[in-house]
Amino acid sequence: MEVLAKIAFGVYTLVILGGAVLAVSSSSLVRALIGLITTLIGVAGMYLLLATPFMAFMQLLIYIGAVSVLIFFAVMLTRAEQGGDESDKAPMKRYLYGLAATMAPAALLGWLVLTRPAASVAVPVEVPIKQLGDGLLGSYFLPFELISVILMVAMSGAVLLVWEKRGAKNGGDR
Amino acid sequence: MSALTLYQIVALILLCAGLFGLTQRRSLVGMLISVELMLNGAGLSMVAAAQLTDFSAVLGQLGTLFVMGLAAAEATLVLAMVVVVARRFKSAKSSDITTLKE
Repeated sequence: MEVLAKIAFGVYTLVILGGAVLAVSSSSLVRALIGLITTLIGVAGMYLLLATPFMAFMQLLIYIGAVSVLIFFAVMLTRAEQGGDESDKAPMKRYLYGLAATMAPAALLGWLVLTRPAASVAVPVEVPIKQLGDGLLGSYFLPFELISVILMVAMSGAVLLVWEKRGAKNGGDR
Repeated sequence: MSALTLYQIVALILLCAGLFGLTQRRSLVGMLISVELMLNGAGLSMVAAAQLTDFSAVLGQLGTLFVMGLAAAEATLVLAMVVVVARRFKSAKSSDITTLKE
């Protein structure tokens, strides 16, 4: 990597780390969401470093534009902030179990990544967007159609789930 | 250390942060945030592996696009479920909605 690329990589890594720590440890869900968005922006920067500007754009569009807004709606609709759901401390036992459950895959995968590095080129390949479009409408047409079906089913399922029948509102809880 | 290894370590950190958050969060929305962290680690790892090795770069990028689409669908469904659960149990804490042990 060039020196500038290394500096940019370091900066993006710091952004991702800070965002992840905020997203995991913050006691307020809105702050956790801000941390998540910071991480998403850092990952978009990493995509730029990997010479995939289209992926960076999609990251901004889909994750920050759509998914974060959805999570924000979830925070608002459940009034997650009001009771301070996350404010009480977790018991020590649960903390230790969580740490163990995190450390096991981290140690295994980290060992694999460090001891068996794949042959990697120093400069990322550049793919024109036209090739991506050719792939989407050529070889990978079926997954492309399937993802739209999945999105439609998810959207209609979400609407169906939260559909409230008229008159059932004050008939007690279901 | 090769460039690919560095990217994969960052992706691994994202995965572990998400996993840790998933076990520690006490509300369903917080768990959803952690799952999104893990999915981002997966996407970063896939794009890095496709761009920095001889593997087909188009396939890697399209795979990550599909991961993003699935993440959007999953977030939609989880939002609906959380709303239904919050309406029914009057809370979105994971400890309040376990009824089996009562």
